[in-house]
Amino acid sequence: MNVAAERTPLLRVEGLSAGYGEMLALREASLEIYPAEIVALVGSNGAGKTTLLRALSRVVRSTGRIVFNGHDLDVLTPDEVFGLGLVQVPEGRQLFDRMTVQDNLLMGAYRRDDKAAVLRDLDRMYAMFPRLKERTRQLAGSLSGGEQQMCAMARALMAAPVLMMVDEMSLGLAPVVVEQLMGVLDAIRDEGVTVLLVEQDVQLALSTADRGYVLETGRIVHSGPASELIDDPAVRQAYLGL
Amino acid sequence: MDLFAQVLVNGILLGGLYAVMALGLALVWGVLNIVNLAHGAFIMLGAYVSWYLYTGAHIDPFLGLPISAFVLFVLGYALQRGLLNLVVRAPMFNTLLITFGLEVVLTYLAQIAFSADFRTINPPYAGNSWQLGPVTVPVVRFAAFVVAIVLTIGMWIFLLRTRLGRAIRATAQNLVAARLYGVEPRHLYAMTFGLGLALAGAAGGLYGTVSQINPYIGGTLTAKSFAISIIGGLDNPLGVIVGGLFLGVVESLTKLYIGPTYGDVASFGILLLVLIVRPSGLLGRTA
Ligand SMILES: Nc1ncnc2c1ncn2[C@@H]1O[C@H](COP(=O)(O)OP(=O)(O)OP(=O)(O)O)[C@@H](O)[C@H]1O
Ligand SMILES: [Mg+2]
Repeated sequence: MNVAAERTPLLRVEGLSAGYGEMLALREASLEIYPAEIVALVGSNGAGKTTLLRALSRVVRSTGRIVFNGHDLDVLTPDEVFGLGLVQVPEGRQLFDRMTVQDNLLMGAYRRDDKAAVLRDLDRMYAMFPRLKERTRQLAGSLSGGEQQMCAMARALMAAPVLMMVDEMSLGLAPVVVEQLMGVLDAIRDEGVTVLLVEQDVQLALSTADRGYVLETGRIVHSGPASELIDDPAVRQAYLGL
Repeated sequence: MDLFAQVLVNGILLGGLYAVMALGLALVWGVLNIVNLAHGAFIMLGAYVSWYLYTGAHIDPFLGLPISAFVLFVLGYALQRGLLNLVVRAPMFNTLLITFGLEVVLTYLAQIAFSADFRTINPPYAGNSWQLGPVTVPVVRFAAFVVAIVLTIGMWIFLLRTRLGRAIRATAQNLVAARLYGVEPRHLYAMTFGLGLALAGAAGGLYGTVSQINPYIGGTLTAKSFAISIIGGLDNPLGVIVGGLFLGVVESLTKLYIGPTYGDVASFGILLLVLIVRPSGLLGRTA
């Protein structure tokens, strides 16, 4: 999206470094995300993708600058960042396993006071994910893998996110389920929600996204419109095995 | 046979009270992973609040319960924010050490403030009872039982149905996810500990209506609450009701058939037995 460059970014990350103890898992990463974009962040195992999301959600410490919707995130706590509408669907889903599907969705709306709107959104989620509607009282831990991912996405959407970050959504799921979830991402983007899609499945991510960033051992090594990245010989060789 | 029925009823009535006593301990244990060794001392404080309200301001002990609960809630919230947040999810040994210290300090302060004298709360209806066939049901004990059960079930509904209750369960299950979904752990932990102590405060008020109080009752009450939590599990307040009733009945029967001084022995016997036979608790998850 070339017009994107002229607007103010929704999220601007500058020189972000983060790690665990002495080890830096993310080095000087910079990126920008514009409103209502789908941006892919791709890279192989251990590249630092999850670490980047954790830094954005303020659950790992980092240096550098993060500006989201005009707010400096560096000084905020995870719950405050969440309150601003920066919501992640974490790697491994991290559902509340011994709570019902419905309770998981309601936890997504934990910070919302607009009760009527929350109930409306609950109905919207069940319309979006009919499989969940049949299972409102089932414990989240006993759902199938695909259903768990739906539950995790629905929980995030219940937070009325401004920017939704989805980590390894496709992992271990059947192609039809992945396709359905991708459809959901497209649909919510049309409603104005911005999406940061973190994937190891580079082909999948770049064929859905508008733009992409490629992360390699903690550094961003390529970036650009998704259609260009997917044709970039370096990216094709490293990630698509072509 | 009549004696047996009477003792059974006594045990059940006592068991309801035991359930509320244990409920606060189980809640704090399950969510904060703190086995609060001072829990009984907080029950003792709640009992004294009730006693002062009754003797000083002539507030009926049952009407005074919300006040005891509130005072202990505030104390709990402040203690958690100021002190115990340092040891949440710390190794169990640290939490035992710090809460044991609290128990010693509270007991000592109580002895200075309240003296070691035995106190009783004796409202005018204290001696009343109903006769149900061969069984005598003292009004106060019955009322304490009813309030205890209502409180326990109310707590259950609160955890299941309210926004805060859901957040408390969510945090107990998955702290990482709870933080990502907007839970501020320090506040939530303080609310949880406050609620645990509010239950202790109410339990103390109820205890004062059926039993004598002095500054040293805390230790035994902690131990009983602990035993009930082990029997009932930490997941579900209804398990705590079952655990409380079970302990109340076994204790009463032991006193009848083995001897009046063996009541406490019974509870620890059960505790040991459960830990050996089913370390996960009789009714589900323990920790
Ligand atoms: N909690 C942790 N403690 C220590 N090191 C960690 C921790 N989490 C991640 N790391 C390390 O940080 C590096 C980056 O990990 P990260 O999880 O960000 O990778 P990723 O790109 O998300 O990989 P994947 O695609 O496998 O999920 C890895 O070398 C990993 O071993
Ligand atoms: Mg990852």
